[in-house]
Amino acid sequence: MSPVGPHHYLIVSGLLFSLGLLGVIMRRNLLVIYMCLELMLNAANLALVALSHFNGKLDGQIMVFFIITVAAAEVAVGLALIVALYRKRQTAHVEDLTSLKF
Amino acid sequence: MNYSLISLEIAVVILGLGLLLADLWIRPEQKTRLGYLAALGVGLILFWSFKFSGVPSASAFNGMFVLDPLALYFQRFFLLAAIIVLIMSVAFAGRIATGISEYYSLIIFALAGMMFAASANDLALLFVALELITVTFYVLTSFQRARLASLEAGVKYLIIGALSSAFLVYGIALVFGTTGQLNFNRIAAVASEFADNRVFLLGILFILVGLSFKLAAFPAHLWAPDVYQGSPVPTTAFLAVGSKAAGFVLLLRLLFTAVPAITERWNDLLIVVAMVTILYGNLCAIPQRNLKRIFGYSSIANAGYLLMGVAALSGAGRAAVLYYLGGYLFAVLAAFLVILLVMNEVEGEDISALAGLNQRSPLLAAALTCSMVSLAGIPPLAGFFGKFLLIKAALEQGAIDPLYYWLVGVAFLGVIISISYYFGVIRAIYWSKEPPVLSAIPVPLILRLALYVCLAGMFYLGLFPNTVVELANAAVKVLAVR
Repeated sequence: MSPVGPHHYLIVSGLLFSLGLLGVIMRRNLLVIYMCLELMLNAANLALVALSHFNGKLDGQIMVFFIITVAAAEVAVGLALIVALYRKRQTAHVEDLTSLKF
Repeated sequence: MNYSLISLEIAVVILGLGLLLADLWIRPEQKTRLGYLAALGVGLILFWSFKFSGVPSASAFNGMFVLDPLALYFQRFFLLAAIIVLIMSVAFAGRIATGISEYYSLIIFALAGMMFAASANDLALLFVALELITVTFYVLTSFQRARLASLEAGVKYLIIGALSSAFLVYGIALVFGTTGQLNFNRIAAVASEFADNRVFLLGILFILVGLSFKLAAFPAHLWAPDVYQGSPVPTTAFLAVGSKAAGFVLLLRLLFTAVPAITERWNDLLIVVAMVTILYGNLCAIPQRNLKRIFGYSSIANAGYLLMGVAALSGAGRAAVLYYLGGYLFAVLAAFLVILLVMNEVEGEDISALAGLNQRSPLLAAALTCSMVSLAGIPPLAGFFGKFLLIKAALEQGAIDPLYYWLVGVAFLGVIISISYYFGVIRAIYWSKEPPVLSAIPVPLILRLALYVCLAGMFYLGLFPNTVVELANAAVKVLAVR
């Protein structure tokens, strides 16, 4: 058994990122899509923390704090938007977003 | 550390916070007028920015933030755009149900994000500045909560925006993981060791995907038409001008400061992206009838033309990008000022709403015509000279790589296609059958002034391009020295 190296973390974070991307593409519920987007951001966080450890530099971990803060702001705005849309349309499905097309 | 370097940004943030506070003490019927105060404040900051003109380039926060001619060029660009957008929002206030002062302050906060983006020299600041712009725009696009179209535009912008920030962040993680650096200059110092490292290249590619969302360029361009159509008019205008330019300044800094060697190797990729973007934007715009939607597609096409200047990999190409953005600012803002005033009178945003505009208000008709002529690239307006410079820059590289000739061919094709839909708008103004209403459209003095500024800008840039071209040349020099 070799010790856990940076590439192990990269593979796990790559898997998480791909799972999130797959969810964004495949799922039809706005809330689930939003959860998948958060998963993608957290995949990046995992990669940053792990690689920052192996690089011996703290910049990556500080970057993670920025990402978490920004993601929190994004979720606050995003959920408010989805709730406002739900109140108006009684739906949170992407197929029902049809008022804008030519 | 020299805090005076970020004094412009600090002033913008304080202005935004001040507006939020002022909202608490101002009587409801006077809140609309707060927009003029905001525009005045931004105007003063624009005036103040000329104090920095001769100052040599300097950096702060450990090289994270730079103030150089390139940053100043874009900061003035954003400040000017914000003034006109704020004036537009005052005229639009009647259609925003609640919280007009929040609308003004959100515009100011987005402006702060753009100004930080103009100076960003580090992936962390790039990320935070981009997100400051994006998150404020989520709210700005969906500000008309009672209108379903506005909410829908907001949700679409949210999903695609969050998706592209995920790509951006993951790309940053990969670049940091391989090089151990976030600063552009320090990445540049070590980038040659990683020129063949697949993880590093994938990281750069992901960052570019994240940035293409801001530019409304292929592959993250699909949001533009829907969001442009659904958003309130001032938001659309700011999105078309400010947000796109912020994407371009970040793209220029990243490509030519951080990874110049890789940019040169990837010029084919940039050319193909530019070609696809030009063709997609122009071809899809032809059947459109909604004015704001036409601008959504036209914005994609223009992102393609601008990418042509980036792909040219020369100082002339980069300077052409800066010049073209200047002409684009005046043309697009003039068009949206007209759309705003016409839409205040007529319901619906269909092209047919423009019927008889030349009888209802000759000034508006002339302004919209000039804007269309400039966007279509017909002399003597700014758009023509901008396209000329971009195409010239691409042609000069043709000897190195024949793909540039294809790019120029596609650009010409795009210009010819675009004439058809831009002139569809002009035809609707002057030659529509039996216009339904012929009442005069009142143009308030301050909006008339804003229109005159846009018209003067288009003519000045088109007839006397030298001043701005020299400014642009001086600004892009900072990208070449490293």
